[in-house]
Parts: sequence; structure tokens; C-alpha cells
Amino acid sequence: MSDTPMTDTAASRAAQPFVLPHHPIRDALTGSVASIAFTFIVVIAVGLIWIGPKFVSFGNVSIVGTFLIVPLIVGAFAGFALLAGVVDLSIGSIVGISAAIFAYFISHQWGVLPAAGITLGVCLVIGGLNALAIVRFGADPIAATLGMLTALRGITWVLCGNQRMIPAFDIDYFTLINRQVLGLPLFFLVAILLTLIAAVIVARTRLGRHLQAVGGDDRAAARAGISVQGVRTAALLLSAVGGGLGGIIYVGQLGSAAGATGLGLEFQVYAALMIGGYSILRGGVGNPIGGALGLLAVAGVSNILDLKAISPYYVNIIVGLLLLAAVLLDRFRGGDAYE
Amino acid sequence: MTLDRAIDAMPAATPLRLRLEGWGTPITLLVVWLLLIAATGLYRPDFFAHQTVLAIAFTMSITGVLAIGQGIIGISGGFIDLSQPACLILSGLVAVRLSEAGLPLAVVFAGAIIVGMAWGALNAAIVVAAKLNPVIVTLATNFIGLAALYLVFQLEQVPNDSEIYHMGRARFLGLPVIWWPMLVLIVIVGYLVHYTRFGRRMTAVGGNRFAAKARGISLKTTRFATFMAAGGFVGFAAVLFASAAGPFNPSSAITLQLSVIAAVILAGISLAGGRGSFWMLLLSVGFLSTIPTSLVFFGLSSDNQSIFQGTLLMIAVAIDGYRARRGSP
Amino acid sequence: MRKLMPTIAVMALSVPALLGLSGIAQAQDKFKLGMAVGGNTCCEWMKAQGDVARALAEKAGWDYVELSNNNDPAIALKNAQIFVQEGVDAVIQFNGQPSANAAISAVLGAAKIPVVTYDIADPGMYFVGIDNLAAGIAGGEQLGLIMKEKWDCNPDLVISSEGAGAGIVNEWRTGGMRTGVKNICPGIPDEKYISFEGSGDAAVALPAARDLLAANPNAVKMAVVGINDGGMLGLINAAEQLGRADEVIGWGQDGAFITGDNVNPHLAGSVFYFLEGYAVYAIRDVIGPIAEGKDVPLKADPGDPASKVQPCPVSAEQAKAVPDMPERVVALLAAPAGTTEYDLFCPNK
Repeated sequence: MSDTPMTDTAASRAAQPFVLPHHPIRDALTGSVASIAFTFIVVIAVGLIWIGPKFVSFGNVSIVGTFLIVPLIVGAFAGFALLAGVVDLSIGSIVGISAAIFAYFISHQWGVLPAAGITLGVCLVIGGLNALAIVRFGADPIAATLGMLTALRGITWVLCGNQRMIPAFDIDYFTLINRQVLGLPLFFLVAILLTLIAAVIVARTRLGRHLQAVGGDDRAAARAGISVQGVRTAALLLSAVGGGLGGIIYVGQLGSAAGATGLGLEFQVYAALMIGGYSILRGGVGNPIGGALGLLAVAGVSNILDLKAISPYYVNIIVGLLLLAAVLLDRFRGGDAYE
Repeated sequence: MTLDRAIDAMPAATPLRLRLEGWGTPITLLVVWLLLIAATGLYRPDFFAHQTVLAIAFTMSITGVLAIGQGIIGISGGFIDLSQPACLILSGLVAVRLSEAGLPLAVVFAGAIIVGMAWGALNAAIVVAAKLNPVIVTLATNFIGLAALYLVFQLEQVPNDSEIYHMGRARFLGLPVIWWPMLVLIVIVGYLVHYTRFGRRMTAVGGNRFAAKARGISLKTTRFATFMAAGGFVGFAAVLFASAAGPFNPSSAITLQLSVIAAVILAGISLAGGRGSFWMLLLSVGFLSTIPTSLVFFGLSSDNQSIFQGTLLMIAVAIDGYRARRGSP
Repeated sequence: MRKLMPTIAVMALSVPALLGLSGIAQAQDKFKLGMAVGGNTCCEWMKAQGDVARALAEKAGWDYVELSNNNDPAIALKNAQIFVQEGVDAVIQFNGQPSANAAISAVLGAAKIPVVTYDIADPGMYFVGIDNLAAGIAGGEQLGLIMKEKWDCNPDLVISSEGAGAGIVNEWRTGGMRTGVKNICPGIPDEKYISFEGSGDAAVALPAARDLLAANPNAVKMAVVGINDGGMLGLINAAEQLGRADEVIGWGQDGAFITGDNVNPHLAGSVFYFLEGYAVYAIRDVIGPIAEGKDVPLKADPGDPASKVQPCPVSAEQAKAVPDMPERVVALLAAPAGTTEYDLFCPNK
């Protein structure tokens, strides 16, 4: 699976974007981003009608934004991997183990930066192991990262000990993470900025082009002289680093790491990314802005149901339906028909 | 698969037995399993006891039947069925209701299997009608299914002293009653897949669906058949699950998925389709069910079990991928 | 300095509240209660806690907002922020992931919203609940008495079905039960105490319990303690499968599976917490007085709680007189205000 992209026909291969240079604005007006932008606007409209102006107030947006900081950052990095055609299901567990490691060092009075450095170093090792299995050995990414997910979660439980948590409260760090700027959480704005930077990387830089090339058609990419193994490894490393950053930020937000930190995050992120136009089965499609809009749309739905005190299980039903709708739309737009 | 690759890859309708390299995997698996048993037995000789066999056999029963379902989806090119937890709990709920109504065991089984098949048909309908990839479809239906189940019930259990309750605890020839259906089903399915026309067609679709289509095999029919069959097996497993699980909730089945997927991969049933032996499931499910028991004998906690099983899965798929790569011309 | 950031947060959050929303302005006349239910799928009482709180709030003529913590620390924190935005006057929470409690306390404390927390203490929150440790010990002592009578305090094993995900509550309940057993039967050697991880869920505990029993093939007289009835049922079912359940005796916690017609005969008893009815205590002793404008001193320690819930240890025989949870809820809501489930249902007060 790892080096067999799922493009089926010559016609749909022509629709693969890797040959054309990307223009972020043109992309935004056509293609997958348009669909998710439309969905997002519908969600906002429903919220406004059903709940009122409170829905888009600074306060409410702050709440949603605070909650989305980690998913947005993790999603932006995981999106790079999806572009390259590798799906890393272990991101939730990477977030968990990073939170545990970071919290451990913080609680032992290390500084934030050294602790973060070590945590990200460990994440690079984890990403490297993923790459070893998937790129070097050709393991199926879904199954391999599923294994990594389980193993890391077990290690996290062990690290968190009997209490299943590591309290780690550093006042300066807590204040920084939760700071507000212009009425919105600072790190939410940082996450948005990161998404925009990611979009530029994808559209304008060589790394971005290589990621899409490898994800779209790895044989053509190899013929063009791109190191497919190198790009895929880089993608997995990036994905792991994203998870690391997520864990580090969670510790700042919650003041601790728990055995359950990040549990289930991969489903939340990938469902939203797919709703936003990425595919976990074929690379080369997807745009970071679309991914972020997917996360925002799902969070918006969840927020509406919260404010209306409707059971949160309905969110999952809506997410499942949106997911089906999104891949259906993707197919109509020239994506692969399954058969 | 790209068109190049599809043409490059072998149409894989030949049963495993005829390929010379095919013996390597079963023997490796058997040897590793025996090594594990030997190591545990050396550390604690009371590992070799009837109780151990029972414990492992009980674990094998449910995972084994689920693995048949997952294997059918895999070998026919459907890759992975991520909606097994939702199907299992749904069928389990039906089984509970039927046994609460006092209906005989055969009816309970029939009801659960029918519901499982209906779930499979739903998945197949979406895959076929919308031409979407089964991985995403089953991911979405699992989301929706579990959420809907949460809204419907919180905890259910079969009544004490019902037929199904006793079935979950009874034994036959020294092994659990619920183990035997698993054995029989694996043997039958293994035969059907390798030696009947339908089975070979299904494998052909998995290996190279364009060639299969060109040969006149209806992909739509195959999808429906495979998903419904897989769903039926999950429904059957649901009765086994409900028979001894005690009170269960919609989240109770989520952890089973890992063992099932690992079992399918270890049995050599390639997730990319077209290749694999169902009889090997006996070995892989047996091996995977022995691991947690061995770890307990060694005195390791369940956290360590997760670490062990996750690492094992990674190694297994790495080897599987390496083999697949080497195997293609 | 700790207050500065939350103050800025609250100031930013209050900007929209002043944006002339007539709905909110009207709601501020009525007392508004916010409840965050636990959201863990293990147990039916989690949802019931919300239902009871809602009914009691409606009786008192209050507004009521319910959210689910989904057993996730990030969501628990988000819920706290939503409560602040919704302008609630008081919050009740069951937070199964106490790792987020420090942050939740900060957010709600800065908004000057009093918080009641069930069963898991936090220094900034009113503690309403059971002293889990005392409840554990009480259950363990009951089991110890049975062991003394039947086996002369000489079991083959004392098995603990742990639920490590519950954190400190697991230490209290399961560990407390072991302490209770030791109180009555001090002579049992340490190696007879073994544990397995059951996650407090019967279906999940089953395979782990089977493996544990297989690893102790000669044990016949087994006493079982655990974090809740479900976790223990996992072991009892496993013993039945392995044909060794004849002399298994378990004493549970929370009483979830000791009522009704489907009670396993090896469950000798349990400890009712009547968790679904906690709202009565919370409202009677904390929220009600606050709504009336009284000043209620903050009591956050389980040893000296704002409202103490009495545990009710029962034998299986005594439990027959206790109705199922749905019926209990109906009866509770029909009873006069301030009546607790302990008053209504505990057979041996």
C-alpha cells in the first residue's frame, strides 16, 4: 500500500494536481477548499440563526479556539503526511506521550525550552521508527501506525503512574499558553498563522511540491528524480513533531498530563481533515486551509450542540455524515471512483 | 493501484498451497508460537495446564470469528472494515433482546447474523452506490453506528440462566463450546475461499479488480456478497461475545479491533487484497491470544501488554510489507 | 500573578456578554445552574446524574445547562469556559479526568462561579460525595467478615479488579477494600493479594481476568474486590468460564449490578453510593443556599466535605429490597425536597 497510490484511471490522473503549480487563492475558489468553505459558512449560518449573535462573539470563538489549538497544529503537520500519501494514525498517542514526557521534565523544574527540546527529540525518534517500518520496510501505514498508537499509549500509561496523571504547573508557561490577544487566544492565532504558513509551503516551496508529487504518483516522482523514500520519511517526521507540539501545548492548557491526553485525537483530526478535502488513501490532494476549515466546521457543529444542550453523540453522527458527503464530493470533482 | 501496477501484479487466484514460498509463513508463525509457549513454560511450568488452554481458547473464539469477517473484506480488496465494533455491539444488542424474550438459541443466532448481514449490506450499498472506498465508508458508518448505539442503550447483558449464558460457559471435549464454531467456520471458509469458484472470484477481485472485471466478474455483486458475509460473521461473533461478557456498553468492543487486524495481517491475508490463507488464521489468532496470557504468567501488567502487542503489530506489518515488496516482479 | 491571566480571560469573555443580548439579560434574573456530567460510558449513573439535577433544578424554578465532559480533560476545560460564557451562577461537575481540575478551578474561580465537584476533590471546589476511601474500607470489611466465617480468613487469593483510569478513586476504592479486608483478616500473606486491570468494565475485564486465573490455576477460594460491580463481574464471569466459580465471593462498589433479577450469585454484596442522586445533597447543602443568597463556606476536603454522602453497604440479600436505578430516580423525584436516596432506600442505615 505504501508505494501504490490509488489512482485508477488515466483520466483521474490528469486531475492530479502535482503537475500544476498551486496558487492559494485560485485553489480557494475552486476545488476541495470551496466545498469545505461552503460547509463552514453553512455551519456559521446555522449557528447564527439558531443561537444568535452570541455564536460568533469573541467569547464563544475564544472557547472554540482554545479547544482547537492543539487539533489545528497537529492537523497542519499531519496534513503534510497525508499529502505525501502516508497516514499516521499514531498522532493521538504521540500527543499523549509528548505531554507525559514534557510534564515530567516540567514537574522536575526543568525550563520550558529544554523540556520541549527533549520532547521533540523523542518525537523525532518515534517518527523515525514509523518511517523505518513504513518507508524502509514497506509496511502498510494504517496498520503500522495503529501498532505504534497502541504501543505508545501503553508507554504513556506507564509513565503516568498509578494516578494516571503527571501534574506539571509552571505559572509562566501557563500564562503564556492561555494569553489572549485582541480578544482571542494567542495560540489560536498562532495556529491559524501556522496553517497559512503550511499552505504557502505546500503551494510555493520545493518541499511542498515534492510532497504532492510523491503522494500523487510516486513512480512519476521517482522518475523526476525526487527521493520518494526521503520525502515520505520527512512527512512522518513532520507528523510526529506536530504531535509533540500538541502534547507540549496541552500541558500548558491543562496544567498536567494524563494517561488519556490525546486519546482519540487522531479520529477527530483525520475525520476533519478528510471533510476538509484530504484523503487518507491517496496522497497529493488536500490543502492546509481546507483542513483547518474542516476542523473549524466540526468544532462549530460541536459548539452548536453544546450551546443547545443536545447530546454530544449527535456530533459523531453529523461528523460521519459530513465525512461521507465530503468524499462523495471529492469523487464528483474527479477523485478516484472506487470501482 | 495504478494501472501499471495492476497489470504488473499477479492475478492471485492460486491457492497458497501451490506456491513454493507459501510454506514459509505458516512455519515461521508456528515456530514463534511454540517458542513463546516454551519460554513461558520454562519460566513457569504450570503454564502447561488445562486452565491455560481454556483461557486462550476462550479469547480465540471471538477474535477468530471476527478475523474471518475482516479477512474476507481484506482478501477481496475492501482493505479494512473499520465498522466491526458498531456491527458487533448492534448484533449483540439484538442477541440480548432475543434472549430476554426467551427465544431459543438458534433464533438468537439467526437474529444476530441477520442484523450483521444487514449492516454489511448497508456498508456495501454505500460503497457501491457512491463508489467510495470501503475504508472511509466503514470509518464513517462506525462513527455513526456507535453514536446511535450510545443514544439507544447504555448497558445490556444476557439474562443469567438463559441458554446463551450457559453456552458461554460450557465446554465440549475439554474446550469451550464457543471455540468449536470458530474452528469449524475457519475450516469451512478456508475451503470455500480457496477451492470454490466463488472464493477464487472474490480473491481475484481483491488481487486485480480490473482483470477480474474483464473476466466478467460482477464487482457490485462481489462487494455485496463479501460485506454481507463479513457482517454475518460479526453477527455470529456477537452472540459469542454477549454470551459471557456480562454487562457491555457500546465502547466494549473497540479494543478488539487491534487483535483482529493483527491476526489478519499475521495470517498473511494481505490488506491490499488477493492473497492469503484463512486456515492460517488458526495459527495467528492462536498466537495472538497466547501473548496476553503469557505476559501475565511473566508477571507483566496490562500496560506492558499494550506496548508488546503494538510493537508486535508494527514488526508484523513491516515484515508483511517487505515480503509484498519482494514478491512483486 | 496567577489571577492576572484568568482575569484578562474573563474580561475578554465578558465583552460579548455586554453586547446587548436580551436573551442573556433576561436569563440573569433566574438562577442558572450548570452541570457537567462525566460522560464515561462505563456506567449508567453518569447520565442519570444529569437527569436528576435537571429535574431538581426545574422544581426549584432555575435555568439549567448540561454539558458532557466526555471523559476527556480538554473537553472538561472547554465546558468550564462555556459555563462562564453562559453566565451560570453555579456549576456541578463530575470530572473523571481530574488532571484538568487545576485549570477548571482557575477559570471558574476567576469568574466567581462556585463549583461543586462529585467524589473527586479539588482545593477550589465544594466537595459533595462519598469518602471513597471509607466506602472502600467498609466494603472490604464486609468481605473480610464473610471470609472469616467461611474460610477462617484463609483464602487462596484476594483478587483486585483495578480501574486505573479512575486515578485516585481507584486507589481509594480498590485499595481501601484491601485495607478493609486486612482489618478483619490481618493474617493473609501479601503474595495472596493480586491485581489485574479491568477498566471497571465487565466485558473488557473478562479476558484479562481469564488470563489471571489461568496464571493461578490452583486457586479455588477466591475473594474479589474491585473498583466497581462491573469490574468484578468480569472476574466472576471468567471464573465461571474456567469452571472455578464455586468458591468465588465478591463484594462490589457502587451497587450497579446488585439490583434486579439478573444478579450474579457470587456477588455477595456491594456498597450503594446512589450516585445518581447526588444532586439532592449538592442542592440541599450548597447550591440551594447559594441561590438564596447565603454565604456557604468552601469545604473542599473529603474528610470535611460540604455535603457528605453516606455509603450504604448491603449484602445481596438486603439488596433485593432496593429497586433498580430508573425506579429509584422516579421515587427520588417524587419525594419531598431534601430527601436523599440513602434515606429512601438504604436497608441498613
